[in-house]
Amino acid sequence: MANIDRRIVFILVALAVIIPMLLSINLPVSVSEPTQKFYDYVEDLPAGSTIMIAFDYGPSSLAELNPMAKALLKQCFDRDIRVIGITLVVDAPTLASALIQEVAAEKGAVEGEDYVFLGFRPGAVQVILGMGTDIASVYDTDYNGTAIGEIPMMQNITNYDQIDLLVDFTSSDTVESWIVYANDEYNQKIAAGVTGVIIAQMFPYLQTGQLVGLLSGILGAAEYENLIGAPAKGMQWINVESFVHLLIVVLVVIGNISYFIHRTREE
Amino acid sequence: MKRQVPLVLCFVFGIVMILTQFSPHSFSQGVYKEVISWALIIGPFALVLATVTLIQTHTARIRRRTEHWQYSLVVFAGLIIMVLIGIPFGPQNTIFEWLYNNVQLPMDATTFSLLAFFIVSAAYRAFRARTFEASLLLITALIVMMGNVPVGDLIWNTVLFWTPWEDGTSWWRQWILDNPNLSARRGIILGVSLGVISQSIRIILGIERSYLGGGD
Repeated sequence: MANIDRRIVFILVALAVIIPMLLSINLPVSVSEPTQKFYDYVEDLPAGSTIMIAFDYGPSSLAELNPMAKALLKQCFDRDIRVIGITLVVDAPTLASALIQEVAAEKGAVEGEDYVFLGFRPGAVQVILGMGTDIASVYDTDYNGTAIGEIPMMQNITNYDQIDLLVDFTSSDTVESWIVYANDEYNQKIAAGVTGVIIAQMFPYLQTGQLVGLLSGILGAAEYENLIGAPAKGMQWINVESFVHLLIVVLVVIGNISYFIHRTREE
Repeated sequence: MKRQVPLVLCFVFGIVMILTQFSPHSFSQGVYKEVISWALIIGPFALVLATVTLIQTHTARIRRRTEHWQYSLVVFAGLIIMVLIGIPFGPQNTIFEWLYNNVQLPMDATTFSLLAFFIVSAAYRAFRARTFEASLLLITALIVMMGNVPVGDLIWNTVLFWTPWEDGTSWWRQWILDNPNLSARRGIILGVSLGVISQSIRIILGIERSYLGGGD
């Protein structure tokens, strides 16, 4: 048992993913404090407020981050909060644009009035700093090519002073750039939704208040869907993840038991 | 001259940008805004540089027929097709979107998904309680892993219902992230920040010159 063939391990992982998906198992999800803070901050914003969402992730992290972005967009459109979408990642515009349009169509949000997607501009730090002085100096048009001055919801938005919250959905260290250049430099309130892999490095910023809330991987997405009362992919996938994590624990325990038996025999 | 000009520019702009942080005067803030807009113009050149480097690297591989050189042809095919469609017709072109949604997206997601299989296999082989430190790491990892999924609390509330904690797995996971993890991360951040400050001073003063590249 100390050395199970890795092909068997791969088959077990595949089964741990496929079976819970087919059975549609629903485990209860409790809400963690960072997620609750995130939700409360958005809930406390008055109607007509503006949130800027940075979709800083590519297709590789789509499974973890799309569900949380979708849940936030639903909450925003339900509460008449305007959304400005941008991205610092070159391969994100197509997926971000599609996601916003999907939720907007579902909620009846109007492009240019309730939301706008500005797309991608190269040079992450320069983009973050540039928007602090004048968003139009960075984005002269939106993703569709409409001049920023012709977009109704952008008429009274010049820089971060008119943005009530910036949310960064990311699988990389862009949150730290947003914190250093938008929060520290321009006092922009920031919340983040990140992949599970980088969650540990976000906690110092949460404790200092540099992040007003934090969503952690697919668990964060499931918690947020739970809070807005719209269970979707996050709730479905966290159950799948439960079984994969259980499998890892079982395999690690088996591996250690085998190791100790082997070591005792050798001694 | 080739070295002196960049060194002088770096020194002048470094000092000026530091000074703008200490002065709210309109002139100072005007300089700050102006330099930021210059930086926005310079930024896209990084993309040009990256593309040129990519072309050079893969051209050399094809010319030398290095191992797996055929894949470099695929790189060029992808690059040329996306550029030929993307530049004249824009990223919202139907063919561009089709290629993104049906080629790039599934390939990217699939490659990343494969990690799950390798991580499980690696965890099974590598997570052994050989020493005290390894045991500590193992226990912490298992708690955080189980605290990250609802089944962890379900098991806790079923098996360890007599303990004072409800949802104990996620409670302990949060405690680990909020305390030992946070302390260690803060130490790393402070260390890195001090390193960045000292390196910035060295660059501004021209002591650190590696960014200029080799040669004269």
